[in-house]
Amino acid sequence: MMPPSRERYHTVVVGAGIVGLFTAYHLARAGVGPVLVVDRGFLSGGASGRNGGGVRQQWETAATVRLARESVDAYRRFGGEFGYNIWFRQGGYLFLAESPNELERLRRVRTVVEREGLRSRELTRSEIPRYANGLELDGVVGGTFLQSDGTLYPFPAIWGLYETVRSLGVEVLLGAEATGVSASQGKVRGLHLATGPVATDAVVNAAGGWSSEFSRRCGLAPSNTPTRHEILATEPLKPFLDPMVVRLSDGLYFSQTMRGEIVGGLTLSHPPGTAPGMPSSARFLRAMSRALTQLVPRLATLGILRAWSGFYDDTPDGLPLIGEDPRLIGFFQANGFGGHGFMLAPASTRRVAQAVLGQPSDLDPALFGPGRFLGPPRERPVEGAQLG
Amino acid sequence: MASPRGTTFRFGSRRVSVPPSRSLLSALMGSHLPILQRSIRYHRPRAPFCGVGQCTNCLIRVNGIPNVRACRYVPSDGDFVETENSWPSPAVDLLSALDVLLPGGIDTLRGFRRPAWATPLYHRVVRRLSGYGRLADPGQGSPPPVGSRHDTDVAVIGLGVAGAAALRTLQEHGANALGIERGSVEPLPGTPVLPGTAAAFLPPPVPGPAHPWRIVCVERGSRGVQVRARAVVVATGGYDAGLWFSGSDRPGVMTAEGALSMTGNGGRGAFRKAVVFGGGPRAADLLDRWGALIEAVVAPGAVSPEVSEKASALEVPLYPRTLLLAARGRRRVRAALLRSRAEGTEFAVEADAIILAHRRLPHPQLYFQAGAKMEWRHSAAAYFPTLREGTETSLPGLFASGEGAGFLGPTAVEASGVAAARQAMGMPAPAMDEGSRVDATAPNEIEGYYRELLTGRRVGGKWVICPCEDVLLSEVEEAHALGYRGIEVLKRYTGVGSGLCQGRYCLPDTLLLLARLEQRPAPEVGYITQRPPVTPWSLSAFATLPEDGEPEGPG
Repeated sequence: MMPPSRERYHTVVVGAGIVGLFTAYHLARAGVGPVLVVDRGFLSGGASGRNGGGVRQQWETAATVRLARESVDAYRRFGGEFGYNIWFRQGGYLFLAESPNELERLRRVRTVVEREGLRSRELTRSEIPRYANGLELDGVVGGTFLQSDGTLYPFPAIWGLYETVRSLGVEVLLGAEATGVSASQGKVRGLHLATGPVATDAVVNAAGGWSSEFSRRCGLAPSNTPTRHEILATEPLKPFLDPMVVRLSDGLYFSQTMRGEIVGGLTLSHPPGTAPGMPSSARFLRAMSRALTQLVPRLATLGILRAWSGFYDDTPDGLPLIGEDPRLIGFFQANGFGGHGFMLAPASTRRVAQAVLGQPSDLDPALFGPGRFLGPPRERPVEGAQLG
Repeated sequence: MASPRGTTFRFGSRRVSVPPSRSLLSALMGSHLPILQRSIRYHRPRAPFCGVGQCTNCLIRVNGIPNVRACRYVPSDGDFVETENSWPSPAVDLLSALDVLLPGGIDTLRGFRRPAWATPLYHRVVRRLSGYGRLADPGQGSPPPVGSRHDTDVAVIGLGVAGAAALRTLQEHGANALGIERGSVEPLPGTPVLPGTAAAFLPPPVPGPAHPWRIVCVERGSRGVQVRARAVVVATGGYDAGLWFSGSDRPGVMTAEGALSMTGNGGRGAFRKAVVFGGGPRAADLLDRWGALIEAVVAPGAVSPEVSEKASALEVPLYPRTLLLAARGRRRVRAALLRSRAEGTEFAVEADAIILAHRRLPHPQLYFQAGAKMEWRHSAAAYFPTLREGTETSLPGLFASGEGAGFLGPTAVEASGVAAARQAMGMPAPAMDEGSRVDATAPNEIEGYYRELLTGRRVGGKWVICPCEDVLLSEVEEAHALGYRGIEVLKRYTGVGSGLCQGRYCLPDTLLLLARLEQRPAPEVGYITQRPPVTPWSLSAFATLPEDGEPEGPG
């Protein structure tokens, strides 16, 4: 493994996924000193290369809707700015409710979304076929639809960012595992790599599913936990499905990619923790196949091309951790996205960069601050829209 | 409608009558190799290639169900068969203009970005071109059957030479055993076998219960079968590899297995004058079978005495140490362009087919899925399970036998099956001669072959190295030049290996290409995670898998 080229960096970002690379991009654009990004694995080997590509703005908390909306704008401009086509297609997100309670939840989300100036629609069961083909709607009572939500192709977003940050002078070291920080007087002084230490005053923890482990290695008890989630892709079909479809009852979500594959998963509780090798399970293949063929019977004969798994990086309230950790000056959290890092990265990482630069941010620390779980437990808002 | 004389089905506007129990592919063969598909990006004509249900070249629509493999489907009376992904037909497809207009390929990564206002239009056009078949017609496919479960002491996966030997040994010892075979199989009195059943997924063992192994199988492509076993003998064998050259995806290029399956099942006219590429036992087989239809034998290196004897007896010209540069001909192979490795002279041999018989590769998927330790065996340039003692893998209760475990030649392959069965019953491991396995360190022929082929003057035309996804050689080389490293990243960057064949026909060679470009040993370039399922079986098959009833571990 190659050691870093310098002894000292302005900021070291741990994790070269969508969050880490976007953070490095904002820092480089702000013209700070040298920036280093390290990653223990290969490019796109974590959740940034394992997600279903959904980008939605329908959330229960207004602040998250705003981050998502800003991120959608960023993805619309991505091809022009970063040189790679991410095929961001605004085919909409269609949520399906199977009970009055679920419909009520969708309506609450819709109220928040509309208040933020987005035009979402409530659909009766008979209106749904106009938005999505081939669904068997027995049991569905209604849904909501937001046209400006969509799907993208995650890999090229990583390539575009990787090449852009490097052209801006950011150093990216792959296969370089960060093992901890050195600190004195409650301040970050450097980072430990397998090849030796590097000096820096700012470390950004953007390690996704490994970020709680990295916090722990830095002596900070984490408030996030990785949970394994599985996903599959089918053989490609000619396009027939425009939106991402999400069913509230079991968290089933699926969309049709630009290549024609159906890509999706569903919520299946796995024991928390980090299973080595991130395997798939027969249980998921069975549950997902059942759910998908029940909702779209015409997919029954379609072949499963591959199934894989990755981590959601979950927090107790469903909101990410963004900003400086109050326990260690110079240690910035940019994690806890709960499987939604890709959708929120462009806007969230601007706030991470602002925190590193000591600039004021518009984020409410009570909602997103990494210190919000410290101290005695108290009532706080929860983001319940943890699907798709 | 059933007719005693055979099966009658509709193919577009034609009626086709064939003798019963023939594959749809051989039924459509007629007097020449049919073009049933177009490639996914450039709409290049594609004719059957692998013959074993892995490649995308014979996908067809049957009774409103898309992406059926013609080589694996046996038509019934009254079936309605249509081609897909071409207009007006696979033989004459107007979209193949894309192939001609874009000799360097389409850059879907960096193209189609400007002007920004045109993006939605690009999206519409590119999206329309994606995919193979259309969504299935409503109400197609039989109602979901019910899956089944079998508990056994020892499960044997694959009943070829090694697996059959293993199952026989188990039967002789009165063991509680179960055979799983994708194809058809002779019944074995007293020992149950599941014919037409393919193992799709072998998760890591669940510690604790009496049956730590769970084998997820699919029967006849439509029914989920879960086998629980105390021990597993894997005998999944190997397959004939693909090869890269200019036009290697042209109709008429096929693997030896493909050629065997197309002619073996009563099909006629797959070829009349073929170039066989390879100088080993597989080439000798082909000479035995179709001597009169073989125009030349071309070998990457030396030719075995057996091949040279047979070729001279048949007066078939022999070209050892020769590079296969290109397949000439657009809608069908017309000639093979060759270059002598010793003299550098280039010449063409007229042929209507190129049969690839140069290299066998193992099926390692189940070992990888289970989490067994694997090792790179250099002389075969492939991964095989690491064996601790006899045939036992690094995972207790998982035994490896046959060609897929690296055993060479019929005697050693059969002996490995017997040994695996004995070990699975807890009997001592018979000594297995290391010489009976693929050599771990001896040089391999294909590495040097590709070095010469790819660094020398390159013949023009598209080098489609991943036929499922129409990925070009130049795309992988460009990704390397941009600084992307390792096969996992290159797969995600270019799409190589992400198609329906699960990388069988492109990843082994991509690994060698990257090893050369990155100047490090192939094992350091990495290996693609072997994701389930082994083959793209249907959602409905997995939906019928029985509930396990026992808590599942992290597997």
